[in-house]
Amino acid sequence: MKLMDRPALISHKRRNGGAGAPARSAGNRAGACPPQYRQISRLVLLFFILMGLASAAPVAIVVSNDVPVDDLSFAEIRKVFLGERQFWSPKLRVVLLMRAPVAPERDVVLRDIYQMSESQFRQYWISKVFRADVSSGPKIVYSTEMANDLVTAIPGAVAFVDAAQIPKGLKVIRIDGKLPGDKSYPLR
Amino acid sequence: MHRFPKLLGGGLLLAFAAHAQTPAADQNALIQQLLHRIDQLESRVTELESARASRPPAAAAISQTSPAQVPPPPAPATHDHGTPIVEAATTTYPNLKLSGFGDINYTASDRPGTHAGFNEGQFILHFSSALSSKVTYFGELSLTARTDAGSGTPAAPGFNPEVERTIIRYDQSDHLKISFGRYHTPVSYWNTQFHHGSWLQTTASRPEMIQFGGSFIPVHFVGALAEGSFAAGGLNLNYNLGLGNGRSSVLSRSGDFGDINNNKAWLATVFIKPDKLYGLQVGGTVYRDKIDATGRPQAQEWIESAHIVWAKENPEFIAEFFNINHAYPGTGLVTNNQSWYAQVGYRLPMAQSWKPYYRYEYIHTPRADAIFSGLNLGLSSSTLGMRWDFSSYAAFKLEYRYQERPGLPNTNVAWAQTSFTF
Repeated sequence: MKLMDRPALISHKRRNGGAGAPARSAGNRAGACPPQYRQISRLVLLFFILMGLASAAPVAIVVSNDVPVDDLSFAEIRKVFLGERQFWSPKLRVVLLMRAPVAPERDVVLRDIYQMSESQFRQYWISKVFRADVSSGPKIVYSTEMANDLVTAIPGAVAFVDAAQIPKGLKVIRIDGKLPGDKSYPLR
Repeated sequence: MHRFPKLLGGGLLLAFAAHAQTPAADQNALIQQLLHRIDQLESRVTELESARASRPPAAAAISQTSPAQVPPPPAPATHDHGTPIVEAATTTYPNLKLSGFGDINYTASDRPGTHAGFNEGQFILHFSSALSSKVTYFGELSLTARTDAGSGTPAAPGFNPEVERTIIRYDQSDHLKISFGRYHTPVSYWNTQFHHGSWLQTTASRPEMIQFGGSFIPVHFVGALAEGSFAAGGLNLNYNLGLGNGRSSVLSRSGDFGDINNNKAWLATVFIKPDKLYGLQVGGTVYRDKIDATGRPQAQEWIESAHIVWAKENPEFIAEFFNINHAYPGTGLVTNNQSWYAQVGYRLPMAQSWKPYYRYEYIHTPRADAIFSGLNLGLSSSTLGMRWDFSSYAAFKLEYRYQERPGLPNTNVAWAQTSFTF
């Protein structure tokens, strides 16, 4: 929704409220905020509601089309991102793509899947390479477009992207049978 | 797009603050100004998005993390990352990556004959290289300051180089990975989790029973290892099966140059990491070897170990138990040497870079045990410390230790360490 529409919406609400609301006493009116503050307050409140909705946008797990998997449990997704599951099949290795720091999708994945801070995440992968569990950490991508392109280009690649920016042709993994946008989808 | 609400929020709040000083009659004008400002911010966001989209095609170049190298974000960096490695989307082989660990220590003890002072810890280089999609090489090289590593007679102080690990591995699948080389024996969780990376472990040093150069458990293992994992109904069962040379003629050394007898050492490790308790690891190992150490009787050695770990930081918990059984052929004598440790740490929620910790460790060797006789391994020790992560890749640790050893005066030790990866 364009923000230009909002003053009209707010004005409409105010008019309705004014008509339908019980009349306030003169004393109450004297103690209440001036109308201009109330209007600005509503605008700010609306903004925060919209910001909350924006931050709850789902994060999709996308894979290249050659990945023989359509649905994974949340625990299996976690194993993939922890590097504990390294193969989709004996002939296809998992190639993990991670958004660079400051991407909101990365925050969601660190919070919900890894349950780690940035520092803990770095130490986790340094430790994993040092333990000889893997030869290298995740490949870093800098944008949703880059993630989508690489998932298309690299066999076995898996990435997490903003669910609103998935191009056609990419396979979206169901998590516990749910797609982004479904109720109780776990990554948002 | 998610940055837009934040920009918008800043604009709105600024505008709101400004509005608080504006007469009521100006509210419509102010809202118009506000909306104009929002339009400006929207334009700016679009501009930034366009600039980001116009970067080189993704398939042309990507960055890949290496142990100590995480590339900088596109936005102004607020962290101290290293230089990214740019490589083609199609991986080339071999792709050697090098990283390292180091630590510098200051210790002071009331143990007779010791002097307070600085000492260099280990300088560690770690190599990893994928040779193909299924074959990988790992190497770990250490340089350790020793009093006798130099030249001359008697030997002058110097640095002792050692190939700590050299492993080539074929990954058939998650269920089966086969490797050959020199390992840190998977008879201990700590031994296979932290290796020589002081920075990786919470404390300044390893528990005594797993010390490098120690004799209690065989820290290194030369041979072959099969490992893998199975979902096992959400338990995530992992295993290691190993066959190797075992201890050499010196108890603390592995048979790097070859075996000293025809009896191969073997080990089997299993551990689970349940899905429903993310962070928990529980497991155990059995290890079998025949000991032919110089100056000691022959003995059959069984090692049984168990570990339970909560691999998070609020709290962190690691506990291990070892029982080392020695049976002396022809004598009927059997001895059990036992040790355990428990360590707890807690990353402070209000000061995330600080982590206090405590560890208790205990070693008991019976007097009748001829293999460990004279090594004075018995110990009861407490370690209390604080770790401060002053950088993403460096930490400072301050420890106090109290140690009791049979027949020796009790000692108090203060230890400061800065450890890092690079």
